[in-house]
Formats: sequence, structure tokens, C-alpha cells
Amino acid sequence: MTVYVSLLGVLVGVPIGILVLITGTLGTAGRLFTKIYVSYFRGVPLLVQLLVLFNFLPWIKFDISATAAAVTALGLITAAYVSEILRGTLHSIPPGQSEAAAALGYGPRATWQYILLPQVIRLSIPALFNELTLLLKSSSLISVVGIAELTRVSQNIVATTFRPVEIYLVAAGIYIVMSQILLTAGRLLERHWARR
Amino acid sequence: MTQHMVEIRHLHKRFGAVEVLSDVSLTAETSKVLCLIGPSGSGKSTLLRCINFLERYEAGDVRVEGELVGYEERGGQRRLASGAKLRQQRRKIGMVFQQFNLWPHMTAIGNVADPLIRVRGFSKAQARERALAVLEKVGLAAKAASYPANLSGGQQQRVAIARALAMEPHLMLFDEPTSALDPELVGEVLQVMRALASEGMTMVVVTHEMGFAAGAADKIAFLDKGRIVQCGPPDILRKSDEPRLRQFLQTYHERNDF
Amino acid sequence: MDLSIVVPYLGLLASGFGYTVFCWLAGALGAMALGLPIALLRMSPVRWLRIPAVLYIEAIRGTPLLLIAFLIYGGGPAFGLLLEPLPAGILALALHASAYFAEIYRVGFNAVPRGHVEAAASLGMSPVATFLRVQLPEALVAVTPSMVNALVVLSKETSILSIISVPDLTYEVQKMGIETFASFESLFALAIGYWALVSVISTLGAAFERRVTFHIHAARSQ
Ligand SMILES: Nc1ncnc2c1ncn2[C@@H]1O[C@H](COP(=O)(O)OP(=O)(O)OP(=O)(O)O)[C@@H](O)[C@H]1O
Ligand SMILES: [Mg+2]
Repeated sequence: MTVYVSLLGVLVGVPIGILVLITGTLGTAGRLFTKIYVSYFRGVPLLVQLLVLFNFLPWIKFDISATAAAVTALGLITAAYVSEILRGTLHSIPPGQSEAAAALGYGPRATWQYILLPQVIRLSIPALFNELTLLLKSSSLISVVGIAELTRVSQNIVATTFRPVEIYLVAAGIYIVMSQILLTAGRLLERHWARR
Repeated sequence: MTQHMVEIRHLHKRFGAVEVLSDVSLTAETSKVLCLIGPSGSGKSTLLRCINFLERYEAGDVRVEGELVGYEERGGQRRLASGAKLRQQRRKIGMVFQQFNLWPHMTAIGNVADPLIRVRGFSKAQARERALAVLEKVGLAAKAASYPANLSGGQQQRVAIARALAMEPHLMLFDEPTSALDPELVGEVLQVMRALASEGMTMVVVTHEMGFAAGAADKIAFLDKGRIVQCGPPDILRKSDEPRLRQFLQTYHERNDF
Repeated sequence: MDLSIVVPYLGLLASGFGYTVFCWLAGALGAMALGLPIALLRMSPVRWLRIPAVLYIEAIRGTPLLLIAFLIYGGGPAFGLLLEPLPAGILALALHASAYFAEIYRVGFNAVPRGHVEAAASLGMSPVATFLRVQLPEALVAVTPSMVNALVVLSKETSILSIISVPDLTYEVQKMGIETFASFESLFALAIGYWALVSVISTLGAAFERRVTFHIHAARSQ
């Protein structure tokens, strides 16, 4: 469940993050929207955001499963961080590259498609994988709304076995292994691209 | 015979498998200026850094005022000198780096005064007084309260010289002190160095400024590929028929005379 | 909407806010103090000092804060470590952040140019003096931006301690929401409150950053 929720969170988060980033380049209103979006989701504790969302849906009488709500929340938050990461990378690409493209007769769309986006995605990989491990750990918080992910399951086992140390250490071990797998994957991918 | 200020004998130094100094022997005399010249990568910096033991060497001797630097010898056995011993030796050897290496979080006067406090045990007031006097000497008393980031390269390098001078070294080492400077700032630093030489400071200077070497040096050593190819009075720059030195000077002139 | 229902809760909210700030500051101080020796061990040339530090950092960074809190609060008694929620929470927060702070310190020490240390050596400064007068201050300046950022993140993470019933702002607001049957409204107000708090901390942090690093940026005009 932990893996499932985290992965879905990324799948929802990355495209929304790119959308948020692009919205930010579309005029004043777009910039304002992106600014508020990013600032809200980065400025409010994740736990509070989850609680807000979980109480918001019943409040507007909108009925979806707890899991779907959790995925939505994690996705929206991830999007905010993803768009910031991409924006940072975008700024790190020297403006000379766009200028060179313009001088060669590339249009704005072609510049984005062939020059900027491929670099941005490649350069962002380490930060994105890092974000993914954070998301993995954040997913522990959805245990508070009763979803049976790793932390919740271990809590339940502790409640019946009264062996908190062993159970929680095993849970921690599983989280650590998953984080390491993600970080290693990110590193390998980075190296793979660096070699070309 | 009087003692040499620096006496280097059969020095060998390698980085991994590469021997960067092979069998270097050289002396620097008290109150004289020794210039080290040579192409990039010839080992000039390494040689200079062996003198105050910023680099360890494998074989040979480096003696300053007759005392082996960095090692202790007992019964023919050689081992690393203690940290305290090494620090005491370094106190009398001032060093000026190509990149200035001022500490950015301290003002100019702070940079000069702090080592006096930490190493020489001066009181704060004494240290400030001495620091100000030495800054005055390099013409920077007015900039005492400035942070390095707000000084020009030439000013930073003069503060770095003041920092080393304040410790009252018996010997000053300079590693390309003007190479990181814009051309118009080179003069002010060389001027300070010339003044220092005329006061009788013993100096070992790695430099690419042939004008300075020709004018201020008492002795010039030319290094190539880790060996001293030629060593002698400044007029070897004009008269030498050593082919490698001539070629080095040829390249130098082509680069500098448009 | 009737705001008057909030009035009886004002005292609790204020106390919750106090707990939030206290947990944040105490956790941050603990993590700063703990992170430095861990960073030094992590950079040690001695392998058997370095490896435990690496393992500690990776283990803590791989484990969610909530789980660390459960381990200390729920698992502590098994070691005779019977802590109230508040000290358990602060300990969890400090341990959690210490791994991140250690990495920040390490980056800071690596940012100190070798030449600055060599200059100290050439002047005869002892390793201790070099560390205290050159490496540490330069590293602290270099890490200020990341440190400020980490502190902002930490201020948000204190909310997680409400789950082990530390009576912080999140805890009190949740309770109020349930008792007044206005959970969503309360929580949304809480979100806005945190938003404001985090913005204030970020702004103060940025100002502090400018103060601390002013001397490494060349003056615009002279
Ligand atoms: N720390 C090091 N590790 C490995 N090799 C080194 C190191 N320092 C210097 N070298 C090598 O030793 C050789 C001599 O270097 P050195 O810096 O002494 O040359 P130099 O004459 O000062 O050159 P330059 O004029 O460029 O400063 C070079 O080939 C260099 O690559
Ligand atoms: Mg050199």
C-alpha cells in the first residue's frame, strides 16, 4: 500500500507539477496562481494538508475512497515540489542556449521541445528521485486517516502483539531499504545519462 | 662559511607514480631574493610548498636555518615531526599564495591580527596595533575595516602579505603572487615585494614576471620537468645558452610582446 | 458561520501554539548540537568512525519521522525509557533532523577552500585554532541558506508530533474541530495559520541570511 500510494502520488504529481510550471510562464494571472499554489503546498505541514483534504471532501459532500483522497493529496503536494525543482533546473540552463537556438532560427516551441525540456528533465533526475524518497516517507502520515499502509499496519500489529520495538524497527528497516533502492536507482540513471 | 637560510639537498617528491621533483638541490641565502621560474607543471609550487612542509617529500633534506623541516631524525631514523614542532618551524616561514587565501569572514585587520592572537599569544589590543602598523606598511591602513570581498585583488594580496609579515618571519615564500591579478594591479604588489627585498627580507619567489625576476632577484633557478636545469645570477636570463631556458624565455616574450 | 464558538478555545490554541514553537526550537537546537559531531565523524579519515556515521545518517533519513516518534514513545519503555509525549517528541524531532543537519554541515566544511586551511597552517596555527577560527565560521556562513531552509521544514514537521498526543497547535485544533463539529473550517484555518507562521519564519530567515553573509558579497558600490 505504501508503495502503491507513493507511486500513484508521483504519477499524479509530476504531470501536474509540469502544468503548474508552465502555467507560471503564462502571464500575470498564471504566475500568481503558480506562486500561491507552490507557496501554500510548501508552506503548510503535510499532515495538516491531509487532514484538510480529508475533511474537505465530506464537507462538499463529495464521496471518494480514502485511498483516492490520499493519492490526490500526495499528488498535489508533490506537484508543488516538482514544479519548484524543474523551475530551479530551468534557471540553471544558461540563457545563451536559448539565444543560440533563436539565432539558428528555432521558434519558442521548438526551443522548449528540443533544447530546454530534455535538459531540464535530465538534470532534475537526482532531485526528483530525492523528492520521491521524501514522498515515500510522507506517505506514513496517511496512516492517521486509517489507510493500511506500512506504518498503520505496524501500529496494528503492535496493538495485538505488544512488541513495539521489534515491529517498528522492522518497519523502519523496510522504509530504509526502499529509500536506498530509490536513491540508488536515481544515481544509476544520473550516471547513465552523464556518460552519454 | 655562513649558514644558508634554506638548504635543499637531493629532494625527491612524487604524487602517486609521477615524480614531480627529482634530485633537486638548491640554496637560498639570508637577505637575498631567489626566484623560481619554469614552465607550467614543472614543479615550482611543489618545491616551494616543500619548504614549509605543506607537501611531504619522500627523500632528501629541506633545512631552514640549518634545521630539518617537518621531520625529526634520531639515530639515522626519520619520522614526522610533532605538530607543535612543525607549527613552531612554520612560524618563521611566511607564505603568500596565488589565490590570496584571505579568510572571508574576517576584515583585513582581523586577518592580520587573528594569527597573532592564536599563534603568538598577543593580546587583542597588541595584535590590532601590530596589524595596523603592518597594514600601513603595505599601504592599506585605510582599508583595515574592509572585508576581503570589498577589496581589489591587489589589495587582497597586499593584506595577505601583511598577514604573513606580521608574524615576523625570517623567510618569505611567494607562490605566483601576481598571477591571479588583473594586469593593472600587478605593479602595486610587486612594489611592496621590492620594498621588502630592499629591507633585507629573505625571499623565495615563484613568478612568471620576468621583469621582476631580472630586477629584484639575486639568484634565479630555472626548473623544467621537476629538475633544476640552470641556476645562477639574474643575467642568465639574457646570457644563458641553455636551450630549454632560451625556449622558455622565447615563448614568454612572444606571449607578452603582442 | 459563527466565530464565537472559537472563543472558549482561545486559551488552548495559544497553549498549542506555544508547544509548537517550543518543540520547533528545542528540536532545532538539539539537532544542531547533535549534527555537528556526526558530521565530523562522517568526515573522519578513520574508517570505523566514518562508517557508523554514514549508517546513522542513512538510517535516520530513510525512516519517517512518525515512525521514529512511535519507536521512542511506544518502544522506549522496553528500554526503560519512559518518556512523556513532549520529551519523546522533541527527542524524535532532534534525532530526525540531526541526520539532515549533519549532511548540511558536511557540505559546509567541504565548501571551505583548501587554501584557507593551508594559509592557517603556514602561519603556524594549530588544528584546533584552524578549526575554530577558520573552518567552522566559514562553514557556518556557507550553510546558512540550507540551514534556514531546514529550519523552515522542521517547523512544519512539528505538527507530526500531535499524533503521539503532544498538545501542539495541530492537536488542539483537531480536538476543537471535533468538539465543535466544524472540523474542516478549523483545519483550514489551521492550514492558513501554519502558512502564515512558515512565511514569517522564511522571511526572518532570509533577513538573517543576508546579515550573516553580507561580507562575502562584494559591496555594490564603494
Ligand atoms: N596534489 C597533487 N596531486 C597530484 N599531482 C599533483 C598535485 N599537485 C601538483 N601535481 C602535479 O605535479 C606537477 C607539478 O605541479 P606544480 O603545481 O608544482 O607546478 P608549477 O610549476 O607550480 O606549475 P604552475 O606554473 O602551473 O603553477 C604537475 O604535473 C601537477 O599536475
Ligand atoms: Mg604553481
